[in-house]
Amino acid sequence: MSEVDMAVIKPEMMKSYIWLQTADGSIQQVEQEVAMFCPMICHEVIQKGMGSSKNYAISLPQRVNPAMLSLILDYCRFHQVPGRSNKERKSFDEKFIRMDTKRLCELTSAADSLQLKPLVDLTSRALARIIEGKSPEEIREIFHLPDDLTEEEKLEPLKNTTDDPRIRLLNRLYAKKRKELKERQKLKNIEVEEERVDDRSVDDLLSFINGDNGDSKGIKNSKSKKKNRRRKDQQKNTSANEAIKNHNKEPNGLNQVCHSAEVGQKVRAGVGATSNLHDVEDDIFDNKNELDDGDIDDEIDPALKEKIDREVEDFARRLNSDWPERMQEILSFGHERKPVHFSLNGNGSLRRYANSEQR
Amino acid sequence: MEITKVLPDDCISLIISLTSPRDACRLALLSHAFNSIADSNAVWQMFLPLDYIHIISNSSSPPSLLSLPKKDLYSTLCYHPILTHNGDMKFQLEKESGKKWYMVGARALSIQWVDTPRHWTWISLPDSRFCRVAKLKNVGRLEIKGKVKLNTLSSNTNYEAYFVFKLVRDRYGFRHTPVELDVSIEGTAAGEVRSVILDPPRNMPQQAKERVDGWLEIEMGEFFNGFENDRTVEFSLREDHDDQPKRGLIVQGIELRPKHKNNR
Repeated sequence: MSEVDMAVIKPEMMKSYIWLQTADGSIQQVEQEVAMFCPMICHEVIQKGMGSSKNYAISLPQRVNPAMLSLILDYCRFHQVPGRSNKERKSFDEKFIRMDTKRLCELTSAADSLQLKPLVDLTSRALARIIEGKSPEEIREIFHLPDDLTEEEKLEPLKNTTDDPRIRLLNRLYAKKRKELKERQKLKNIEVEEERVDDRSVDDLLSFINGDNGDSKGIKNSKSKKKNRRRKDQQKNTSANEAIKNHNKEPNGLNQVCHSAEVGQKVRAGVGATSNLHDVEDDIFDNKNELDDGDIDDEIDPALKEKIDREVEDFARRLNSDWPERMQEILSFGHERKPVHFSLNGNGSLRRYANSEQR
Repeated sequence: MEITKVLPDDCISLIISLTSPRDACRLALLSHAFNSIADSNAVWQMFLPLDYIHIISNSSSPPSLLSLPKKDLYSTLCYHPILTHNGDMKFQLEKESGKKWYMVGARALSIQWVDTPRHWTWISLPDSRFCRVAKLKNVGRLEIKGKVKLNTLSSNTNYEAYFVFKLVRDRYGFRHTPVELDVSIEGTAAGEVRSVILDPPRNMPQQAKERVDGWLEIEMGEFFNGFENDRTVEFSLREDHDDQPKRGLIVQGIELRPKHKNNR
């Protein structure tokens, strides 16, 4: 309130005022019933006897700057009036929170420090609505967040209590990637023959994996003929051929077994997508469970392997023809679809689910 | 302005808990700061049903389930249904919303003549979570009823009821005769009765849908569970007009599924 206002009001009404001081040093008077609507101020007045004069102004928390205080007091001024209907209050609230995101955050923080829970709830809901359904990139942009999780951290194993073969493969991919990262650290100072792309994003990882699915074998693999054949097939289907070729020349030859055609499908969906990390996170949402293995050691009999590889190629073909719809399907309904499921039986052999069969 | 510098952790926690489980998973990958908050118990406890402790304590699951981190518990309850109410009901969470999703097993339904061996038998099938499902040997009149207290379910939620069943090869009585399905909340006007054929010939449209678990399901009806839920909702499946013999139906139960919002 300005000096002029106070000069006009004071002689007319014998109101009580509370003195408040914000962190920047400025002090102001506020009508008692308005200020007391904030629990923190109420506490200071009642428990500590503060706020009765300029010298004993209540020091407000640092998160409450004058602009925020003004907003908060507007809120209090409206809501502390007892006679208002729910409809009126709701209508006021809806208009009140129309402000940019930055101010909403500051307001939430300020209201929280004053323990004004109804306002914290109101602003939090508004922020939640802003966040809902957005991709991570969008959210980072809105809130100016650094993308400071390392690739390693983003690739933490998913948990897999359902023993879902898709999660198993995803975890293998992550384990593989982590191993890779470690190796790269080791090899950092050693000269290597060919150049590698070091700052590989998750995109690259997934496209590499696609290529690798075509090459999948058991750990004991040493048949390069098969490898080449599959590599050729994959070249038709993926765009990240360079990445694949480079990696396949890698001495350690990290190969993996593709246990599920569906994983190939799911992973492939990530190639060239607008947001591969988005897919990864949705994968995480769809498949949150206990990790049972971080290693890539699995044996599988060659006949089944051939069958799986054929399934992978088949899916790749189908996927490429109706990709956008498949993407949606894969992202939305991790567990609710009906296509062919592969799963490991207790004895380690693969089983295919058909609808009428038991699990 | 970086949000984590402006807002304290418990505010961020609150905001995340007001989004959705799916959003919370995405938010965990945003940044270091968000990672620990978005995975925290403070957030995930808000996604679990209010009475989750009570539900789990009265289920057949080990109490160690309750000592899991809340996010893991949420995920476990989404993908691993548990048996509650003495093994009569199957419970899980609908993963997008965290709402309660139950199936009332055949044992908890009122099936006319079910305990008379020449009409029905109880069998054990490996693809059912329940110990026993009911198999129809022969009846002339078919009547299956069930009811559930609304306060068992999530409030402020739309539910769809599904009859979950199978038909064996050696079956008759369901090909040309429709059965009547009905869902209504006790004390309110009866909803529309649906008339469906459970086992239509191949050239007719199949109304039942195949489920992921290999069973068939057919929608019985919908209802809204509001806030005053001291009532019960009742379901029935009937064929009592033609008095023709019927055989070969296997009943797993009636599933009450929270309805997906269209904009999800």
